[in-house]
Amino acid sequence: MKKFVALLLTAALLLSVVSFASAEGNVLGVMLGTNVMSLDTNLATDGDSFEVIADCIDGLMQMDKDGAAVPAIAESYDLSEDGLTYTFHLRDAKWSNGAAVTANDFVFAWRRIAKEAGEYAYMLDEIGNIKGAAEIISGKTDDLTTLAVSAPDEKTLVVELTVPVSFFPSLMYFPTFYPINEEFYNSLADGTYGTSPETFLSNGAFILESYTPGTANLTVKKNPDYWDADRVKLDGITYQVVGSSDNALTAFRNKTLDVVMISGNQVDAAKKDASLAENLKVTGAGYMWYLSFSQTEKNAQGGMLANANLRLAISNAIDRDNLVDNYVMDGSLATYTAVPPQFAASSTTGEDFSADQGAFADYVGYNPEKAAEYFEAAKAELGKDSFSFTMIYGNNEGDEVQKVAQAIKEDVEAALPGVEINLQSMTKAERLDKMQNDNYDIALTRWGPDYADPMTYLGMWITNNSNNYGFWSNAEYDQLIADCTTGAYITDYDARWAAMFKAEEIVMKEAVIAPLYTKANANLITAGVEGIDFHPVALNRVYKDTTK
Amino acid sequence: MIKYTLKRVGMAVLTLLIITFLLFVLVRIMPGNPFPSERMSAEQIANKRAEMGLDDPILTQFFRYLGNALHGDFGKGTSLYYGAPISTVLSTAISNSFRIGGLAVLWGSLVGLVLGITAALHRGKFLDGFCTVVSILGVCVPSYVFLIFLQYTFAFKIPFFPYFFDSSRFLFSSVIPALSLSLFTTSTIARFTRNEMVEVFDSDYVRLAEAKGMYGRGLVMKHVLRNALIPIVTVLAPLIVDLLTGALVVEKIYGINGIGKLMVDAIAGEGIDYNYVLALGILYSALYIGIMLLVDLLYGVLDPRIRVSSGKKEA
Repeated sequence: MKKFVALLLTAALLLSVVSFASAEGNVLGVMLGTNVMSLDTNLATDGDSFEVIADCIDGLMQMDKDGAAVPAIAESYDLSEDGLTYTFHLRDAKWSNGAAVTANDFVFAWRRIAKEAGEYAYMLDEIGNIKGAAEIISGKTDDLTTLAVSAPDEKTLVVELTVPVSFFPSLMYFPTFYPINEEFYNSLADGTYGTSPETFLSNGAFILESYTPGTANLTVKKNPDYWDADRVKLDGITYQVVGSSDNALTAFRNKTLDVVMISGNQVDAAKKDASLAENLKVTGAGYMWYLSFSQTEKNAQGGMLANANLRLAISNAIDRDNLVDNYVMDGSLATYTAVPPQFAASSTTGEDFSADQGAFADYVGYNPEKAAEYFEAAKAELGKDSFSFTMIYGNNEGDEVQKVAQAIKEDVEAALPGVEINLQSMTKAERLDKMQNDNYDIALTRWGPDYADPMTYLGMWITNNSNNYGFWSNAEYDQLIADCTTGAYITDYDARWAAMFKAEEIVMKEAVIAPLYTKANANLITAGVEGIDFHPVALNRVYKDTTK
Repeated sequence: MIKYTLKRVGMAVLTLLIITFLLFVLVRIMPGNPFPSERMSAEQIANKRAEMGLDDPILTQFFRYLGNALHGDFGKGTSLYYGAPISTVLSTAISNSFRIGGLAVLWGSLVGLVLGITAALHRGKFLDGFCTVVSILGVCVPSYVFLIFLQYTFAFKIPFFPYFFDSSRFLFSSVIPALSLSLFTTSTIARFTRNEMVEVFDSDYVRLAEAKGMYGRGLVMKHVLRNALIPIVTVLAPLIVDLLTGALVVEKIYGINGIGKLMVDAIAGEGIDYNYVLALGILYSALYIGIMLLVDLLYGVLDPRIRVSSGKKEA
């Protein structure tokens, strides 16, 4: 009996030693906020999936630490004089099954995006303007060879566009555009690509070590055959999906995880806690929260919100500093521009497009007197003294959203006597459904940038764009955006930049939307972990230069 | 007996069919769009709906779904793990939940029995009171609270067990969740065992046995426990289903890729995944109906009176 107990204790001790190993050594323990939904580059749509995919697969280009596009699988590229044809020259790189990465891997993957026509297919036609993409995506043709992407030889990829797209190379680090090995893909049963380490190929810094769809725990390990293997210092990354921020904090404290995200109301406590304060790092999450106003007859008491003065009154009644300081609390930035700050910088001057947050102070800001003036003008124009609107928001879009909605209601009702805001909470899917079917008055909504150009925001407000949930329409604005995307300014970078600024001014002047704040993430990072690149666009975290 | 069995099985299949139909209709009339997309054009969404056959009459859709489901094909998720067939995702989840749930059932029943017997043998004494307190605690404290306590104590303060579930060390990381889940079973079984045994102790045949000179272990095992166990089987059946289908919150907190977590993800994610909700709803119903059927049939075997009486009604 004694022997048995001794044996049991020894076994337990051994097991406990193993249990410590998860985030030790040169393996980084990283928290994910949500499940990895798909490792299929053509189907993935969420930031966490993109991050894991980018650990394992390189595209033509990659992000440097400042977010600029630098060569990855493409060693270099040429652009034709008319700006319509990109020729990418591929380097020697290998898939994890030993096959060479070829231009055909890109042709195959891109055709498949167009054929699947999923969420991010719009990167091919609307954003990338690749010739032939729109016809396949809309279902007008199913001849995939009409997509103007070709591989004249194994190491050359030629892409033809319908109009010059100045930021096209920066689209190439977006996971949607990553390659898939055709032969490997075809050898798998339908629906199994990317569902396990055996059904997934890497050509990037890491190899998938363990994963099943739905798992809360997945690991990647260093890829010794990566073309830039010397650069990668980590032996691997252990990802853990953590549902609550309390749990995240505890897992960080007991060193199970090295990188976690905490909620706004934990940030204050972390700042005061000497053992955590030095680990705190606030990074831009990219997406901007704003109010969308329905401007059609059928909503808002017969289209009351079509009145620009009423929208301006509401926008000027909201104390955005109060929102970020007392409700969001994670370092998010109060925002007074239609394009949020810190994600799109001019490639000629390097200046942030929205560096000057006071640029539109006449139209947006916390100014109850001005709000009252706009409100008087609106009342005179509409011949009405009292208004009652419903504001919809998601109940599964973050803890702070409910509080933010409540604060906005209080601000607006205090500054504009006669306006009543009724709050209505629902799931994000229902909120989107209501907005897409124009069945709402005001919505608290958000948009994250898909590429590093102001157009990812400004492009939404043109007439009939599917994201123009307010159904606002302005001919001058449409023309300016057309000039920037397909017309006069597409080859003149600075003129385009200036035109986009002019377009933004129209959005603010008419309060098409009321920008609120640009979301940040409050991270805790173990001391000694260096070189994680945080980006507000496309890939939120990159670990190629990370040391531990 | 064959007639009885056939009738019960037929009823079970019919019930499942009706439930499946109701679930199917409910899921179809839920508000929201199965493709909550901000980047697809109306045209793309319409194409996707057509591809999935969502524009067909509901009965056509139902029978197609039924046909596929009978072949083990539950379709693919609309907002959860898209690309992967639901059947593959579900099978991993089922295996995880069943293994952890099985451990919990085993542990819970064993400890529950021991507690119950101890309490019954020491009726009215300190040990009885102690066991009663333990079982009341077990019923009152939700399993996830117990999980948080165990996680904090034995994975954080004394870092012996892993802080999160790790499928590569299955048994070791199952201890905390299985223990938490077993608490309710332990208490329920303990209470029932105690009460049943106390009742049987007072029965005439036990008195007769005692009068004939039987006592101690022989009496308890042969006469008391055996007769007390029959009603306990009834309680155990639904408990087993509960545990096998996974505790929603426990799996979510401890990061177990099981059915419970899948259900939470399918409902509480950014969009409700209709296909997952449907598949999981059918799975839950099938398990309940299956276990109840088993209990019914077992009764028929254990107690012929039940079989006979229902047989008479048939005639």
